[in-house]
Amino acid sequence: MPNNNHSNHTGAPEAVGYWSQVGSSPERLGFWMTLPTVLLLLFIVVFPAIMQVYLSITMWSPLDGTPWYLAYQNFDFPGQYWRALLDEELWNALGRTLLIMVVTIPIQFALGMGLATLFVDEFPGKKVFYSILLTPMMIVPAVTGLIFYLCFQSTGPINNHLGLPVSFSWLTDTDRAMITIMVADIWQWTPLMFLILLAGMLSVPNDQILAARLLGASEVQIFRRIVLPRMKSVIIIVLALRTVESFKIFDSISVMTKGGPGVQTETISYYIYRLTFGDFEWGYVAAIGLSILIGLTVLAVQLLKLGAKPDSNK
Amino acid sequence: MKTPLSRHLVRYAFLALAVFLVCYPLVWMTTMAFKPYSEWTTVGSGLSWMPRKPTLQNFEFLFYGRAEGLYVTLDKTIFQPFWASLVTSTVGTLIAVVSGTLASYAVVRFKVGASLPLQVLQLRLFPPLAVMIPVMVMWAFLGAVDTWWGLSLMYGIVTLPFAFWLMKTFFDEVPIEIEEAARVDGCSHWRVFWRITLPIVRPGLATCALFVFILNWSDYLLALLLTQKIWVTLPVYMATLTSAMGGQMYGMKAALGLIAAVPPVIFGLVIQKHLVRGLTFGALKQ
Amino acid sequence: MSSISLRNITKRFGDFTAVSDLNLEIADGEFLALLGPSGCGKTTTMNMVAGIESASSGDLLFDGKPPTAKRIQDRGIGFVFQNYAIFTHMTVRENLAFSLTVKQRPQSEIDKRVNAMAKRMSIDHRLDQLSGKLSVNEMQKVAIARSAIAEPKVFLLDEPLSNLDASFRAYMRAELKILQHEFKQTMVYVTHDQIEAMSLADRIAIMDRGKLMQVGAPLDVYNNPANVFVAQFVGSPAINLLEGKLVTEGGNSSLHLNGGETISLPPTLAKNFAKSSTDRVVLGIRAQEVKAGSQNSANEVLVHGMVEVIERIGPVRVAHVHTPAGVVKCMQGVDATHVGEALTVSLPESSCLAFDAASGNRLNYMGH
Repeated sequence: MPNNNHSNHTGAPEAVGYWSQVGSSPERLGFWMTLPTVLLLLFIVVFPAIMQVYLSITMWSPLDGTPWYLAYQNFDFPGQYWRALLDEELWNALGRTLLIMVVTIPIQFALGMGLATLFVDEFPGKKVFYSILLTPMMIVPAVTGLIFYLCFQSTGPINNHLGLPVSFSWLTDTDRAMITIMVADIWQWTPLMFLILLAGMLSVPNDQILAARLLGASEVQIFRRIVLPRMKSVIIIVLALRTVESFKIFDSISVMTKGGPGVQTETISYYIYRLTFGDFEWGYVAAIGLSILIGLTVLAVQLLKLGAKPDSNK
Repeated sequence: MKTPLSRHLVRYAFLALAVFLVCYPLVWMTTMAFKPYSEWTTVGSGLSWMPRKPTLQNFEFLFYGRAEGLYVTLDKTIFQPFWASLVTSTVGTLIAVVSGTLASYAVVRFKVGASLPLQVLQLRLFPPLAVMIPVMVMWAFLGAVDTWWGLSLMYGIVTLPFAFWLMKTFFDEVPIEIEEAARVDGCSHWRVFWRITLPIVRPGLATCALFVFILNWSDYLLALLLTQKIWVTLPVYMATLTSAMGGQMYGMKAALGLIAAVPPVIFGLVIQKHLVRGLTFGALKQ
Repeated sequence: MSSISLRNITKRFGDFTAVSDLNLEIADGEFLALLGPSGCGKTTTMNMVAGIESASSGDLLFDGKPPTAKRIQDRGIGFVFQNYAIFTHMTVRENLAFSLTVKQRPQSEIDKRVNAMAKRMSIDHRLDQLSGKLSVNEMQKVAIARSAIAEPKVFLLDEPLSNLDASFRAYMRAELKILQHEFKQTMVYVTHDQIEAMSLADRIAIMDRGKLMQVGAPLDVYNNPANVFVAQFVGSPAINLLEGKLVTEGGNSSLHLNGGETISLPPTLAKNFAKSSTDRVVLGIRAQEVKAGSQNSANEVLVHGMVEVIERIGPVRVAHVHTPAGVVKCMQGVDATHVGEALTVSLPESSCLAFDAASGNRLNYMGH
């Protein structure tokens, strides 16, 4: 039954010709439907990428007074890149970022996994507990920063409840400030780990677990041999997700310590922020940014290759 | 096999600990929001969870710019930032969800843009600050800085990957037979999408919208970079206010945090059940 | 290796009673089939034996004693699931070895036993393959082998052959029987397929809606059903059942069948029918016993009708004779019968089964 010339009951003016044909043709419809996304992608990738490369080979700063397209007047290649390579502060910032990742992600994972095991069977109040435990994940990260800022005050509850004197400071202490950031991060994101790992755990077929039990396996053995292997893909996804996001950590630092004391909690994002709005060295920042981009892309490709082993679970 | 009592008890013990750790900071902030100035920094035995003299003073301060007994005033109340957050989050969500839904459906059904899923994912891969300078310059060039549409557009772009992937997992699960049956009856591809498929994924669509909304509402960095005075969103307002307030004003800060935190938590509770899907990109066989 | 006793076992799920006052004794080394339609409680019963479910009331005894181990891990029960539940992320070898590896047996012993079992089940060529990639038939073998290798005292199988193709099913039936004889395990086998039960089991326990209908050797259950349900469930084609009202005039009894025809009853049969609680009775006879045409015997029951359908089961013909009281299937003397023919069928008294229509019970049943 041809429908090209029927009125479409959605109330839109009847379109004859091109649009009704589009509606019937998968290729054309597909084109138009993906168009907004493609346009947005192009918009945000193409021009900025070109500009980024361009700026990275200059020493431009908006403070110079010249508009960006005249930045070539300050041409400097590969000066900015050399600078990045030799920049101690940059590497320190990277190091601190890595430190945060290496400490918080395993802890979040272990806690999330532990919580998940608690939720596998039914028990009274399960839904209530579940809702409560997911809450931190839904708090605005900047607010989380604020919350822990309040808690870690020298006159705040943590010092009070641990019986520590007012002189014992967290946020302004060179060694302990990092801890406050890590605690906030763990508090915020453990629920996400918990949520995803629980879903993975629940998808393990129950009769395989029963079968294993009947064959004599203890609960620990079941977890190690049946549950964990079957959760492999979920575990990889959740770790990848958190790793990528953790690298970008910024909000809590900006609210809690501003990278301080000094630069003790300055992560790579915050360092870039400081260069951008503190020193206004935008050419340099472009170079750093591009280097990070390339570095991360190479890393991602390598990891994807590693992870692309034939999946044995299906 | 009934669960032995000991197992229940151990479980509840751990749960209690977890709940305590989760609630501790939240309760502290909540109660602080209602504490008057005198109770903000009591130490030692003076420190208590519940305010001795609960007050709405802190909220008053935020909403009216001043409060009784305080000698500080605010030159910018909370209304505009709240509104800014609302507008930009909503419009950004619309952009992301509409584009993402249309595109993911096309990828799933029409075999176009096979590289789109991965390309779209890339948007989330890189630290925003590493790539924001050109964006800021572009935005300035377009006159989009400190505008509602400038920020909304950015929000739409940045949450597009989530909308795309989430809706993709939902579309993957719609059995093609339903659509083919409608096609046999004479529906065009577009009508099938609009009239048949979309209603089926409506709950997923709602979940996606709420999830993206929460993400946009939670944003701090982008708003920080792309707004200045007028369209500052709630998190940025909160951050600038807290630094301006200096070391004290804990009550106000707490009240601020509370106001900023509440909407996404409420939405989050609503969509809890469905949250997992997009986040695991279909790795779970449901 | 172990006898199983179920005494007054009842299992309730909320308001629903899945198993009601079940009493069953399974001898050491016996192959017992739990037969019944879906939802009759047979799987629930077996789950209780395995320890997966606990009974709401009643006693479960192994060798006369309650199960000693608290956890089902330690009960030494082999269980084969209907959908195999093999560990698809492990190789066949790892699956088979599982029960031994978790008990930390020495590797040499594990290898020896795994290889031996794999050989006997003819899956040794698949040992190092991922078990998720096997065919359905091979998966089934892995499931059985995996449980068998642990040499359990009691082997429970939940409809293990229902997912297999027909020819393989026949092969596996034989395999199972051999396995059981070799290991002398007590085997409990849940199935809804009466042919399977008939061919495999030493005894069959038939259940319906949570209650045990009858338990006995296959032929016993076939020839001597305790009630209408058993008679109908066992035997293929399904037993002929004619319901009617018993009418006694003077010394003669006749059966006024539903739908109109009245047939006269020979004395012994009449006597059995007289034991019924009401005058509504059911006459049952297997199609294999029904003869076409009157045999001119004093002890026959004659029913008149018309042949509507001729069914072929292999080389055998079954004539479906439509009478006002229902269809009577006839298998003897119908080689030349054709559709549309009016036919009188003879039901030999000795093959007739008398049932009470109200209770379903058999009226001359001598059983336990």
